[in-house]
Order: sequence, then C-alpha cells, then structure tokens
Amino acid sequence: MKELLLLSGLGVLALVSGLLNLRKIMMPLVLTGLLANIGFCIYDWNSNELVYNMLMMDNFALAFSIIFSATAFLWFISAKDYFADDNNFSDHYALVLFTLTGGLLLVSFTNMVMLFLGIEILSIPLFVLVGSHKTKLRSNEAAFKYFLLGSFASAFMLFGITLIYGITGSFNTQAIAVFLSQAGTVHALVFAGMLCILMSLAFKVSAAPFHFWAPDVYQGAPTHITAYMSTVVKTVAFAAFFRVFQTSFGAMQEDYMLALAIMSAVTLLVSNITAAVQENVKRMLAYSSISHAGFMLITVLTIRTHSAGILLYYAMVYSISSICAFAVLKQVKIHSGGREMISTFKGLLVRNKLMAFSMSLALLSMSGIPPLAGFMAKYMVFVAAINNDYLWLAVVGVIASLIAVFYYFKIIIVMFGNTPDDIDNSTIILPAHIRIVLVICCIGMLLLAVMPDILLTIL
Amino acid sequence: MGITVYIFWFLSFVALISALNVVFAKSPVHSVLSLIITFFAIAGHYLLLNAQFLAAVHIIVYAGAIMVLFLYVIMMLNLNKETEPHKKNYIKFISVIASCLLMITFVAAFRGAEIEGATSPNDSIGLVENLGKVLFDQNQFLLPFEVSSILFLAAMVGAVYLSKKELH
Repeated sequence: MKELLLLSGLGVLALVSGLLNLRKIMMPLVLTGLLANIGFCIYDWNSNELVYNMLMMDNFALAFSIIFSATAFLWFISAKDYFADDNNFSDHYALVLFTLTGGLLLVSFTNMVMLFLGIEILSIPLFVLVGSHKTKLRSNEAAFKYFLLGSFASAFMLFGITLIYGITGSFNTQAIAVFLSQAGTVHALVFAGMLCILMSLAFKVSAAPFHFWAPDVYQGAPTHITAYMSTVVKTVAFAAFFRVFQTSFGAMQEDYMLALAIMSAVTLLVSNITAAVQENVKRMLAYSSISHAGFMLITVLTIRTHSAGILLYYAMVYSISSICAFAVLKQVKIHSGGREMISTFKGLLVRNKLMAFSMSLALLSMSGIPPLAGFMAKYMVFVAAINNDYLWLAVVGVIASLIAVFYYFKIIIVMFGNTPDDIDNSTIILPAHIRIVLVICCIGMLLLAVMPDILLTIL
Repeated sequence: MGITVYIFWFLSFVALISALNVVFAKSPVHSVLSLIITFFAIAGHYLLLNAQFLAAVHIIVYAGAIMVLFLYVIMMLNLNKETEPHKKNYIKFISVIASCLLMITFVAAFRGAEIEGATSPNDSIGLVENLGKVLFDQNQFLLPFEVSSILFLAAMVGAVYLSKKELH
C-alpha cells in the first residue's frame, strides 16, 4: 500500500508542480521518491502484505518493484533533458510516474481486474509519451500505431478474462489456480480464454508473432522513451506475464508450454535475423529488444527451475545494458545532427573514451560474451530450457545469440576502427549526469557479472 | 421462459445483422449508425439479464456520447472511397486466413459449451444499490475503483498534453 500511495502521490504532485514552482526540485524529488520506494520494498520484504484483497506484496512483487524502481532511477538521470522543457515538464513527469504506478500493480496483482487496470495505466500514458515529439511525423505515426494496436490487445485481454471468469467463476488468481488444479477435464473455453490473455500479453512484451508494432514504435518514439519502453515497461510486462501464467494457469502448464516455446523460438529467430540487416542503430536496438523478449519468454514456460530468479536477473541485466546503450545513442545523435546510423558511431573511441567503453560493455553484455553478466543470464535461461526437456529451444537460443554477436559487433568494430579524415572527430564532452549514468551502468554490469547470486537466488 | 426466449433471439438477430453491417457498409456514417443499433440490442440483452444499471449506462455512454463523437470525427474527416487506402492483396490474404483460424478456435471452444449455473439471476442483482455494495466493499472492488481514478487522470493529462499548442 505504501508503495502504491508513494508512486501515485508523486504522479499527482508532478501534475501540480508547474503551479507550485517546483520545476527545479522536481528531479531530486522523483529520484528520492524512487529510492524511498526501494526502501519500502526492502522494509516489506517477507511481509506478504495483502492490499484490499487485490494486490499481494510478496517477495516476487517486491523484488520486481526494486529492480524497476532502480532502472527508472537510472533512466530519470539519463533522460534529464527530456524534462527540461518549460511548458511540458510537469506532464512528462506525471505521465512517466503514472506508468510506474501501473507497473507496481502489474508486478503485484492477485486479481484479474487489477491486471487489466495495471496494463491500461501502463499503456495509456505510454501512447502519449511515444507521441510526445508532436511536430515529428514519425513520432505521431508511432503513437497512433501503438494506440490502435494496443487497444486491440486490451480488448483481447478483456475477452480472455471474461471467458476465464465464465468457467472458473472468479477473478482472483489464486481461486482460478485452485479451480483449474481441481477440475478433472478442463472446459475448452478455458483454453480460449488463456489464448486471448496470451495474445494480449505477448503483444505487450513484443513477442512474435505480435511484435510488428515494436520496431516502428521504438524507432518513432523519442529516444528517451524508447529506452524507457525497452527497460522498465518490458520488465513489468514480463513480471505480469510470469505471474498470470505461473500462478493462475500453473495447473495448465503442460498445455501452454509448447505454444510458448514455439513463440519464443520464432521471436528469437525473426528478430535476430532482421536486426542483422539494420543500418539504423535505434531500429537495431528495437529488434534486439524483441530478441531479448524471446529469451525472457523461455523463463515463463520453464517450471522445474527457479525461473522467477532467472527472469529477475535477466531483466535487470538487460535493463541496465539497455539504459547504457540508449544513453550513448542519444548523445551520439545530439552530436551528429540527429542521425542514428551505424556510421555515426565511427571513431567514437577517439571522440570520447567513456562512451566507447561503456557502449561496448553494454553491447558485449547484451550479446552474451562469457565473462559478462549477459552471458550468465543467457546461460541460466538455456539451462532452464534444457532442464525442462526443451533442448531444441536452447539450440535455437544459441543460434540466435550467435547471429546477435554479429550485429552487436558491427557497432563495436565501427567505434574502434580507424577514423577516416573526412568525418567529424571532434571530442564529445559529456554532461555530468550522463557520465554518472554510464559509470553506474558499467559498475552495475560488472557487479552483476561477478555476483549473479544476489538476484538469482533471491526468489 | 416463453416470451424472453423470443426476445433473446430477436435481439441477437438484430445485433448480429447490424454488427455485420458495421463492417460491410460502404459509407462510414452508415457503419456508425449500425453500431448504435448494435449497442441498443446489446443493452436489451443486459436488460434480459436483469442488469438495468449496466443497460442504462451502456446506452448513455456508448450510444449517446461516444457515437456522437464518432459521427463528428467522420463528418470532419470527410472519408470517402477515393481517399481510403487499399491494402495489398497478400496482406488481405494473410489476415483472412489468420482470422478464420481464430474463428475456428472460438467456434470449437464454444461448441457444446454448457455453462453450468446459468440460472436466472435474482431480480435485484443489477440495481445500483447492489452495484454500490460490491464496488465500495473493502474486500471486493474498492481498490480497483479507486485505482481507476489514476487511469482516468492519466488519460486526461495525456489528452490535454497532446492537444495543447507548442509555445515556441
């Protein structure tokens, strides 16, 4: 309850911050709020607080709240200039904080009504944020596309929840789980309901074949919002996915495992092959984000292992590398007149060492090169797949990672390659807040690589 | 039984026919008008299920407010056949196949569905009084009711933000 009041209260405060002349102190206030949220979560650890029968602050919810708050904390620092605008800063703050409130509901719901409300509170401000470059056609197009398809996905979710309610007679996730585990033969409508919920959640996490919106929306949205969507939003959407399928539909595991396995295999192959031919770095990172959704989807379908811990670890590792990569991309974009092609990264090593170093660390981590955290995360996912007799899925995952190495290295090679004289190789001077974010991200990636147990065994 | 069954079939028939007309009508205005008829038929179904409040809200909100908005937008956009973009043939083909597969899944799931406990609900179940009791009960839907205010606030802020003029 504390967490919910804190985040929604911050959102409302942000709305009136323009009136109260809080512009200067809003950023410190939000950052303190996020730290306080992490503090509350640690304080509540093991308490299993039940909020009005609708939310359950169990360790799963608290752990995911901690990592999404931590990611949002880093993101807020890196996106400082997104909130610099005099006219719109309060709207931007409020909308982002409302999505965080939705995220909190999504990691902790025990009732399908809360799942739906969470998804909506997360999505509706996002539609607006995606379109917040009002004068750019691409941003408008992205917002409109996301809005139309997102409403469609929400309709499917509602239909699915209705069908499940019709058979089980309850919205409560625990009651549904009990009903399904006690019923001998399950009614076919349960499968139809599960299918609908699966489709809408797969849309939210951008898993194939419901991923077609993602590249366009990620590319069209302002870079900061793209970073936000591929980290915080993805993390909470996966937490919700995990919660629905492992708690409510746990008894039906045998029935949906294969479907999820095929979905993740298709996601991995399609996204990585398409990413390999992209020249636009932002679009490439969008496809890379889809491919990581494929890896995280594997944790949802595996039961015999501690998949919750693996999902938590994977989400944190991916979020932190992603924040780093997008922060560098944004700076490169600023210093190259808004272009985001791979060629704009030419000779980044000469222009700024910290940027080149942290970008390569992030990309190496995402591609899963052995000593880094990304390797550990992927390794755990593959082990989980093999333990659940899905050897072929692990093989597909390895192939996908190999393709991924190819396109991540395209950027790294360009950054460290020789710089021809005809391009701009003036030094880039980073603002202090970006430097702080990059250093924190690098330390975080290395820390997670040496001590994976801090997240893996926590759940 | 008796007359309710006939009313049910009649309402279902009207709802389906007008819903099909929404999709197939050439003019967007006709689509919207058919949609209003569909909403009225569905509201009739709610009445048959003793959900009076829901039926009233359905007509006021959907048929009243939202559809009028739709009509205004359509009139202002001036959609006609020439400006309507045409999809490529293979996309049409794929979407027809995909939606047919989805339809087969649902028809198969609904076929032979004997929903147990579909007894006629008690007469006062759809009254505002009972709705209020469920909505404001701490152990039932109080939190979702309060939380939905965040949703509406966010939607409102979003709408104002998108429509306000950039001051540069």
